[in-house]
Amino acid sequence: MRSLMLVAFALAATVVAAAEDAAPAPATVQDCLACHADPDLSVTLGSGETQSLQVDAAAYARSVHGSALNCTACHPGFEAQPHPAVDTATRATFRAAFRDACKTCHLDNDRKAHDGVHYQLLAAGDTRAPLCADCHTAHAIQSPARPRARISQTCGQCHAEVVAAYRESVHGRALLDGNPDVPACTDCHRAHDIKDPRQRAWLLETPQMCGKCHGDEKLAAKYGMSDKVLQTYLADFHGMTASLHGRKRSDGTRFTALCVDCHGVHDIKRVKDPESHVIRANLVKTCQKCHQGAGTTFPAAWLSHYEPSPKKAPLVYAVKLFYLAFIPFVIGGLVLQVGLNLWRFWVHR
Amino acid sequence: MSAPAEGVVRFTRRTRVEHASVMGLFLLLALTGFPQKFFPAPWAQSFVDVLGGIDRLRWLHRASGVAFALLFAVHVAGAVWPTLRRRAALSLVPEAKDFRDAAAMLRYQLGAQARPPQFDRFDYRQKFEYWGLLLGGAVMVATGFLLLLPLVASAILGGQLIPAAKVAHSNEGLMAFLVVLTWHIFNAHLSPEAFPGDTTIFTGRIERERLRHEHALEYARLVEGSAPAPLSGPPLGALVMAPLRGALLVLYLPTLGFVMVGTHLARRARAAVRPGRRRPDKPADQSERGEPPASAA
Repeated sequence: MRSLMLVAFALAATVVAAAEDAAPAPATVQDCLACHADPDLSVTLGSGETQSLQVDAAAYARSVHGSALNCTACHPGFEAQPHPAVDTATRATFRAAFRDACKTCHLDNDRKAHDGVHYQLLAAGDTRAPLCADCHTAHAIQSPARPRARISQTCGQCHAEVVAAYRESVHGRALLDGNPDVPACTDCHRAHDIKDPRQRAWLLETPQMCGKCHGDEKLAAKYGMSDKVLQTYLADFHGMTASLHGRKRSDGTRFTALCVDCHGVHDIKRVKDPESHVIRANLVKTCQKCHQGAGTTFPAAWLSHYEPSPKKAPLVYAVKLFYLAFIPFVIGGLVLQVGLNLWRFWVHR
Repeated sequence: MSAPAEGVVRFTRRTRVEHASVMGLFLLLALTGFPQKFFPAPWAQSFVDVLGGIDRLRWLHRASGVAFALLFAVHVAGAVWPTLRRRAALSLVPEAKDFRDAAAMLRYQLGAQARPPQFDRFDYRQKFEYWGLLLGGAVMVATGFLLLLPLVASAILGGQLIPAAKVAHSNEGLMAFLVVLTWHIFNAHLSPEAFPGDTTIFTGRIERERLRHEHALEYARLVEGSAPAPLSGPPLGALVMAPLRGALLVLYLPTLGFVMVGTHLARRARAAVRPGRRRPDKPADQSERGEPPASAA
């Protein structure tokens, strides 16, 4: 019995010793910074470019990970000297070597990103497509939406033209003023599972997307807007067509006017702004984008998101009211006679 | 068709073809129109997908609409031309007798009259349907073309007419469908007299006995060998008045339904509340009812 315990003890000691042999003492951030604080530390890539290996110690300390994670949490195995081999052929291969680090903790967002257009581009071999670190940075990671205006800055690194237009739009200006109610890029496009905005299926969802805010009573009251814009759109010919467009049909063709076709995509202006696509002075031109040859009377065929009423569109209102009474009158009067006929037959059967 | 070759010829080949065409087009238009009217319903989207997409469905709807408009024009021309040449009697135009017949029929069905009225070539129910289809068809054709050519229409008639036409087209179409569903299907198929279906409009022939029973005045005239009453007055005036008379009948019939059934129910309700004035039981009522009609025997 005693000898057995001794054997067990010896065995345990061996295991511990073996473990200590395999992994050197866990590296602290300071250990790594001994080399990686050096601004001249770099590697020359196969493509001839120089890739810096410096880490900004102060930025990392301020980052959301700074107080929580050691370097080896994201760079496992790098406590060993020499470091594990990294493919340094090009900047793309170098970046790709580290791209799986984030999903160890952020698996849900990694999965979503796999459904996104950026990942699709990457898979198709487009090396310009961003990885996690391109939007979030590698070491200076901050909360991505604090302040929210940061979001458009992040996207603008690549989509400069779009963001420039957005900044002049009613939404962009308000966002830069710190308004929390307006959409930033990710509110419409989403952050990780970003869909190709040219896809028909995504385009067909845009009315619901705009309607999330523009159908909200509280927001409408706060800004003096109509909260009926979505339902009036759907009640009209364009909205009906958009609703009935099969989602599996081919992309690319223009099929019907969606919100963005009249109001603009990123350059949406307040409807009373003289530059707005939908202010009366500009409306014919906007209609003519699809309805070639539309005259000055044509825009009146669209009720400007108003529900027919005696003031707005009295003719439409009158016709609507007429049938509201006339259909029950005709059908009711006929059904009474049919019923009477049957009743009479029943009585004399 | 079970109808024998014998029997009385009632409809020309042209009329039968017109009926078959309007039946097919009506079904096609309803089938391709309702998914557009009721677009938020899930079945609408499924139906559109089955037909190969909204564009194809719209093409089908518009093509059938244009065909309907052509049929409409051919039919009207086919009625107007012979009338102007004094070769037709406009037997579908409502007359005072039709208004009286409708009331008499309801009185008979309510038990206040012993016998149903006797009809000539077309009874008031058939005339109602004819004018409902003709006038409703005119609304559908007019609003349909406004919606088909919005650029031209808005340039000539102003923009607001387009959404107004859309509301009218959509509602008028629904009403036409409901009228066919209640009035036509009942009178031509489900009514005890017609069940399971009156095949005359397809075969062109009507059984002698049926003609004698349903169109007694016409039958009597045929037996006598006399011609129908000729068109009185100038044909142009009769043609102008015809749609107005038709519209009057179209409005009159539902009104009559409400008024007569309403007053009858009100009388019975009063009788039930004040039993002193009239006996609450039915004997008094029944005695007024008189003989059951010959057909029921």
